[in-house]
Amino acid sequence: MDLTLLADPVFLAQNVVDGVARGALYAVYAMGFTLIFGVLDIINLAHAATFMWCAFAGWLVMSQLGLPLPLGLAVSMLAGAGIAVLLELLAFRPLRRAGSDRLASMISSIGASLIMVSIAEAVFGVETRRFPDSVLDPRPFLLGGTGGLRVSRAQILIVAASVILTLALGFFIRRTRMGKAIRAIAANLSASRLLGINVNGVVVVTFLAAGALAGAAGILVGLLTNNIVPGMGAQIELRGLAVVILGGMGNIEGAVLGGLILGLVETFAIAYLPGGSDIKDAIAFLILFLILLVRPNGILGRKTAEGA
Amino acid sequence: MSRVGFRRLVPWAVACLILAADVFISVRNHADLDRLLINVILALSAFATLHARMLSLANAGFMAIGAYTSAILAVKLGLPVAISLPAAVLLCGLVAVVIGLPVLRLTDVYLAICTLGFGEVVRILIVLLPGLTGGPTGANLSTGFPYEAMRRTQTWMIAAFLALLVYLFWAMSRSKTGRAFRAIRDRPQAASTMGIDIVAYRNLAFLMSAMIAGAAGAFYAHSVGSLDNSDFRFTRAVDILSYAVVGGSGQWFGPILGAGLLTALPILLRDSLGASIGFLRSFAQLPNILTGLGLLLVIIFLPGGMAHALHLQRKGTRGRTAGSVESGKDALAAPGAATGTGPQDFLSVHELTRVFGGVEALRNVSLQFEKGRIYGLIGPNGAGKTTFINLVSGLVTPTSGGIMWQGKAIHGHRAHQIARAGIARTYQSIRLFDEMSALDNVIVGHHAHIHTSLLSTWLRLPREAREEGEARDQAARLLERLGLSELAGRPAGTLSYGDQRRVEIARALALHPLLLLLDEPAAGMNEVETSRLGRFLLELKDHGYTLVVVEHHMDLIMGVCERIAVLNFGRVIALGTPTEISGNDQVLEAYLGRD
Repeated sequence: MDLTLLADPVFLAQNVVDGVARGALYAVYAMGFTLIFGVLDIINLAHAATFMWCAFAGWLVMSQLGLPLPLGLAVSMLAGAGIAVLLELLAFRPLRRAGSDRLASMISSIGASLIMVSIAEAVFGVETRRFPDSVLDPRPFLLGGTGGLRVSRAQILIVAASVILTLALGFFIRRTRMGKAIRAIAANLSASRLLGINVNGVVVVTFLAAGALAGAAGILVGLLTNNIVPGMGAQIELRGLAVVILGGMGNIEGAVLGGLILGLVETFAIAYLPGGSDIKDAIAFLILFLILLVRPNGILGRKTAEGA
Repeated sequence: MSRVGFRRLVPWAVACLILAADVFISVRNHADLDRLLINVILALSAFATLHARMLSLANAGFMAIGAYTSAILAVKLGLPVAISLPAAVLLCGLVAVVIGLPVLRLTDVYLAICTLGFGEVVRILIVLLPGLTGGPTGANLSTGFPYEAMRRTQTWMIAAFLALLVYLFWAMSRSKTGRAFRAIRDRPQAASTMGIDIVAYRNLAFLMSAMIAGAAGAFYAHSVGSLDNSDFRFTRAVDILSYAVVGGSGQWFGPILGAGLLTALPILLRDSLGASIGFLRSFAQLPNILTGLGLLLVIIFLPGGMAHALHLQRKGTRGRTAGSVESGKDALAAPGAATGTGPQDFLSVHELTRVFGGVEALRNVSLQFEKGRIYGLIGPNGAGKTTFINLVSGLVTPTSGGIMWQGKAIHGHRAHQIARAGIARTYQSIRLFDEMSALDNVIVGHHAHIHTSLLSTWLRLPREAREEGEARDQAARLLERLGLSELAGRPAGTLSYGDQRRVEIARALALHPLLLLLDEPAAGMNEVETSRLGRFLLELKDHGYTLVVVEHHMDLIMGVCERIAVLNFGRVIALGTPTEISGNDQVLEAYLGRD
């Protein structure tokens, strides 16, 4: 570890900025994932493939049709919502009807994910796609002149978007009638059905929300890394799992907190550890492994969507 | 007949077609044959864990460890495959034990997530250790290794190894171990209260899975001749999983069919259709899409996989019955002697409290039970009766208070330990192993009394046949005793409610318990069955068994119990003889109503 770097306040601040932006991104991705688990006890391993397809949807409309970023984001979120609902109808609802266990839904999501990624590979190939520069000015803001802090527009946008989406999801779950129904189903699905809640309808709404979050994450990752490939889901899959386990499965605040922690830890590891960029991929797993062993319910415990 | 007969033939025809396609493909190309054999081995590695109801995605990681270890030993140290391969397998076993000990305590999805991460970490390590592994694009075996000369032997060796594996799985499936795995797969909790140590079996399954995957990896390395860390990506883990899921994880031959189908189908499609449809030939993603579709369709429409369809057919024709039963021996031979001496030493609970999320299901319950009596436990719904049984049988740990069994504290012990110590139970909601025959269900109860090791099963030592035979005879006698002989060969899930309850009692008795906890044994029984059950319970008492009966049938309780405890809102509100209880005002008010 290079100790002189620790003493450099600009370097430190830079890593905090980069880490928070990265973490905010993980948070947006993980919120959708954890929402589905919290409500339905489903580990949706196709969430990453949904996210990847959304990034491509955004890329298609922004670089091929020349739509501006807000529209690209909207299209991507819509695409995510649509894909997620398709997944619910084709891969999850039949299993729920048959009363299968959660391993079955995990396996069916693995199957769906494989199909989605394979189709993307067949359609888009392996070459890297980028959003056009016209979408968002790539030049960073420089605070404190040229040796100073660099904050890119993408980073600002990511943090802003994640704050807005977190608040919006929190409001939706806690303050709306639909949110109440979602919490009821999270607490007890069969009792909710007996009480006359249209379970399938509410579940579709849940998937809509989770898919939209995957869509937002897809665009934000595209802006941050400028590297849109069919394999991009695999890169975030394990991180997303680590984040939700860190925060507690099904816990939305936990996903935000876990995302920030993972983003910061990864960024600092790259900056301060020798060979950090090589081991950063292993960090998510190390966190995941340790948390599962030490505190399987995550740092915030297992509060599902209704628990807050 | 013809229509039904035809439908019965379909799964067999499909199985034969798959095997024919595999043979067809293999004959044309040695590399394809190697791949097919290796895939089947991999499928068995996934089967080993799935069969124990564990979704492990670590197979690709172990395959990588096996492949790199064997390749490195062969290339860098020049060791023969006969040494490098077993060494690779042993290393995988070692890693499996080390990571398995902590990881296997996790429940289903967490285990899957953790093993998914394990596979990724193995790949990262491969990349991070270029000096050893040759870095991301891998160790090239074609330099310094007489690969071409080895090829023919390799195929032969892979086939021989596979044959050995098939034998091991086949033999295991017919043994105590196989039954334990099926029980765990079907109903883990019930299995644990039958004295099956679930964690130990999960460790065994994980170890087998890891070693098999390691062997497959080593064969893969020597067959392909070069290694690339991307050969062992998550997609590989998914492929391996899909072989076992599509083929079926209930029977050992399922994964063989699954791997055969998913290996042959893409090759066939590309080679035969590809000529006419040029698009397919260049469609590199086709195998993955087929695999994904296979997973999705099978898990939704055929949850047991292809083997399940075949297995059900066989069951229909086989209909195994209990066979000849030596009469004369009494199935209810008195249970073993209690080790304690004083009456207080049998079973006592002291200030037992259990809280579920703020609700006190049981509060400060203190009760004593003497050997050889029948106790009744009654109370309105939600009074804590089942919680009491769950606490004593070890499925639930007390929030506070203690349970003393024969002078020893057993609270905090695991369910299988308590079962082995002589406490058996039945369930309010029946928890038989539905797909096993009634007879096999009862034999599972004998689990703790069959001492044959897996090794002697595999070596076919005479002891195993003898113990299996004894267990079978005893189980058959128990079923006869409960009037179930004719139903012995039927899958337990197809029996009537009352019959299922009696099979559960037989299964619990097979444990040779000192104490039998019966949770609503008469629920769903008619008057005749109930009174017959009452007579049977009294017979059990005469043989020296001690019973605790939770029941709503007042006739049964009042007819057979010597002492009755009444629970209401988690507390004991009355304790006494049937006459005392039926005259107790508090009980009448809380429980029986005032009419």
